Amino acid sequence: MKWNSRTRCALVCLGFVLLFSAFSFRLIYLQMIKHDQYAGLAAEKHVYKQPIFAERGTILDANNEVLAHNVPVETVVADATHLTDTDATVDFVSNELKLPREEVSEKLHGDRRYIVLKREVPKAISDSLRQKLRAQNLRGIYFERDATRIYPNGLMLCHVIGFTDFEHHGIQGVEGSLDEYLRGQDGYRYIEHNRAGQELVLYRGQERAPRNGYQVHLTVDLNLQNIVENELDAAMREYSPKKATIILMRPQTGEILAMANRPAFDLNHRSEAKPEQMKNRAISDMMEPGSTFKIVTAAAALNEHKFRLDSYIFCEKGIWNYGGTALHDHAAFTDLSVKDILVKSSNVGAAKLAVSVGDQKFYEYIRRFGFGERTGVELPGEIPGLIRPPQSWSKISITHIPMGHEIGVTALQMTAAMAAIANGGKLMTPRIVKSITTSDGKTVSTLSPIVLREVISPQTASQIGSALRGVVSDRGTAAAAAVPGFIIAGKTGTAQKVDPHGGYEKGQYVVSFCGYVPADHPEFVGLVVLDDAQTKPELNYGGLVAGPIFSRIAEKAARYLDLEPHEEIRKAIPVERVALTNAPRH
Amino acid sequence: MNRSRRKNWNTVNAASLARWIVLTAFLALTGLSYVYLTLQLYHLGDRKKALETEVANLRMQNEVGSAQIAALTSRSALQRRLKEGYLKMIPIAEHNIVRLTMPTRNQEDILQPVSNQRAAR
Repeated sequence: MKWNSRTRCALVCLGFVLLFSAFSFRLIYLQMIKHDQYAGLAAEKHVYKQPIFAERGTILDANNEVLAHNVPVETVVADATHLTDTDATVDFVSNELKLPREEVSEKLHGDRRYIVLKREVPKAISDSLRQKLRAQNLRGIYFERDATRIYPNGLMLCHVIGFTDFEHHGIQGVEGSLDEYLRGQDGYRYIEHNRAGQELVLYRGQERAPRNGYQVHLTVDLNLQNIVENELDAAMREYSPKKATIILMRPQTGEILAMANRPAFDLNHRSEAKPEQMKNRAISDMMEPGSTFKIVTAAAALNEHKFRLDSYIFCEKGIWNYGGTALHDHAAFTDLSVKDILVKSSNVGAAKLAVSVGDQKFYEYIRRFGFGERTGVELPGEIPGLIRPPQSWSKISITHIPMGHEIGVTALQMTAAMAAIANGGKLMTPRIVKSITTSDGKTVSTLSPIVLREVISPQTASQIGSALRGVVSDRGTAAAAAVPGFIIAGKTGTAQKVDPHGGYEKGQYVVSFCGYVPADHPEFVGLVVLDDAQTKPELNYGGLVAGPIFSRIAEKAARYLDLEPHEEIRKAIPVERVALTNAPRH
Repeated sequence: MNRSRRKNWNTVNAASLARWIVLTAFLALTGLSYVYLTLQLYHLGDRKKALETEVANLRMQNEVGSAQIAALTSRSALQRRLKEGYLKMIPIAEHNIVRLTMPTRNQEDILQPVSNQRAAR
């Protein structure tokens, strides 16, 4: 068959038509049918979801003084595939970042592509390294923006503020409990890179702005906190106790004005702190409160109308055999009024008050005062304490619990109980957070005082308050807690330390004083607790160790709060005389 | 002769030529404008990126400055400087104190100064 020119031409044209048809079908297949798949693959290669990090909120005190905030830093990373001269890069990086050369070399010569060389590098250092690398035309080292948390006051209020981990998650304190508010919400932006890895701003995709974390305003007043911390440090120098705690609280609202513990740690050097330094002992440590607990006993008896404040009770001349066990007083008291049972801190008197109330009712009052349950303060790690139900009490429990033995309470629970006496019988939920605002000052949440329950009547609270004024007098156990110019109400406590292996540790005491100022219109309640203070045995009492500390704090706090002085109560009594006259062991 | 010479000349349609020239010029200008504007967009994108980086750097410097101010004016720092003798505290004289809310008190009340010598360390 011989094809003429027209036929050949037609065949060639047909060939082209078929060829281009095939191309067209292939294009249609790729561009339309497989569009989504290939667009996705292309996007994976070029489009990158760039996170825009939210800034963590600051923590402020009641006067807007900064307690925790952020400082921009950079994380120095390397992309092993982009390194041009590894050995030269190792030299520069190790010199600038003060890292061992071997460590950097090992990291850069490893198998990993993305290598974190150092976190939290100050901006000045990272800028210097960046310039040097650029000058030498060394590639492969990148700088990621980050922020680190700074605590300007270091050790002050460390247990309350807490800290964050390197991923900026709150770990302890308010940083931990309010992490949800402080953290904020990261934003993002879809961006495209060119071959050099630079962003093509023209092809920016969807974008969501970050929401910075909220600011948290605490109820703590740093001026009062400073007074407390200074006195606590002085007490540590003078008595070298194993642990110490001081709390100041506003009784009408439950606001915590100051809270300090020792041992403590510097928040800016938290990695060097030991676990025992990090514990907020005010809420996470249990103690036998000792005689400060007698306020609960007396309140129960008076509120149940078993006695009046001036009713007399025979105190068995210092030894009362009950349930086959002798209960001792520190002096051979005969007849004491209910008021004097608190003033003189009689164990026998307190035991008789509790017996008159009865096991079940007394237990109810203990629970009503908030013992045996968490207070609900906005701090993590709070324990409920240990209050056993009457079913598991021994025969003598009813005589030991009234003087603060056989129970475990936290310092904050004890402060809240005293605050209930001070404010007329209402148990307030202790609060450490005043308000939460946005970074530009708009209020997100204001926390109002929470009355948990009315524990006792205002009349009973007033009667107990009147008795507690007597404690801080020449007749009472806490003469050294007095503040000239102010009427103070309070109660001392001296409890033998519980041995973890059973029984009590000989010669080791937890001494405390809990009181409020001024007694008629309380502005603050204070609790001072020292665990195993190193002093002479005849001086190791709540009234003699914790009392003067309270006095100094109360005086300075009264000056700061501009409280109006009422009267000159009396001149201070020498400590030695108080020790010889009114020294209760419980 | 004249007839054949006339046949060798093609007439030019000036209007059509002008139309083509205008069309071509328009397309060329459109193309050039497109290229120019695209380049401008890239350039402005780079400029935007540079400005964003500059703003971020300034913000970062501002934050570093704020952090330094907070650290230097913190209570701990001021107390340290007080101990070192860089600062001195002068008590406020009574006549310099202005009480905004005068406390109400009874006639019988006697104002007593607050002082506790034994508490002083």
